[in-house]
Amino acid sequence: MFKDLDPILHSQLRLAIMSLLISVKEAEFTFIKEKTNATAGNISVQVQKLKDANYIEVTKQFKDNYPQTICKITATGVKAFEAYVKTLQEYIKKS
Amino acid sequence: MEDKIISEKESMLLIQQMISTAKKEQTDSGIGWIVWGWLLFLASVFTYLNEKNEWVSSFFFWNLFGIAAILLVVYETAKYFFGAKKEKVKTYTGDLFDRLNIGFGISLILIIMSMNIGYPSIVPPVKGFTLLLGLYGFWILIYGTVLNFKPSIIGAFITWGFAFAGLFVQQGRFDITMLIHAAAVLCGYIIPGHIANVQFRKLKNKKF
Repeated sequence: MFKDLDPILHSQLRLAIMSLLISVKEAEFTFIKEKTNATAGNISVQVQKLKDANYIEVTKQFKDNYPQTICKITATGVKAFEAYVKTLQEYIKKS
Repeated sequence: MEDKIISEKESMLLIQQMISTAKKEQTDSGIGWIVWGWLLFLASVFTYLNEKNEWVSSFFFWNLFGIAAILLVVYETAKYFFGAKKEKVKTYTGDLFDRLNIGFGISLILIIMSMNIGYPSIVPPVKGFTLLLGLYGFWILIYGTVLNFKPSIIGAFITWGFAFAGLFVQQGRFDITMLIHAAAVLCGYIIPGHIANVQFRKLKNKKF
């Protein structure tokens, strides 16, 4: 019996954001936008969903008079990501 | 990229692609190794030539190197505090390298001071430069290991090999010490630095 894939992570853009954040300490919103080629609006919505799930932390601040949004994966996010990858591997192995 | 459900295989591919994209941020251009390496190499070679020809005092070229190094440190520090920050991402590797560089700098200053304090100095320059090679090897090994960059890992052991050879140089043969130093810097910093730079440029131009 397969475990269900985490619905928060099993979406293209949210998974891309989490995969980027798991590899770094923290990243600016613009970095995520640049690497995923998604629109700012779409990323904002997905970032908010990940934040609501407590998978990422979002800090808003000003740098050189410009607003800056910094995203960082949380311990809960790391756990969820690891569990997701494990389940994914089980699916791929059986298929 | 959109907010859509994807297959398990597509998910796995996406994870791999994004992780590898993020890893590109953790590569080193090698420019630092190249600049540092060539400065050390030129100082060693000119000091060797000076030992043979006696143009100026023994440490003239090392003093020039010291001035250049101080100017570089001042420039980098000013850039860090006052320059426009282009970094959009912070990595754990970057943090580690920052701390490694602080440790390296302090150890370097201690060894240089030991060669300059007292008369005769606490550590004679012939042996002091050997200690410096030992320190370079340590720094190069950590850097190479963290970045999984084989030329640096090999370069570190070659540098230590030269450091070991340097222990047997007799007092008064500073010229030999300088040749050993130049060869070690070539293998430990310059060659790996140029290889890293070529790889870095290839990686930056590669499109996913």
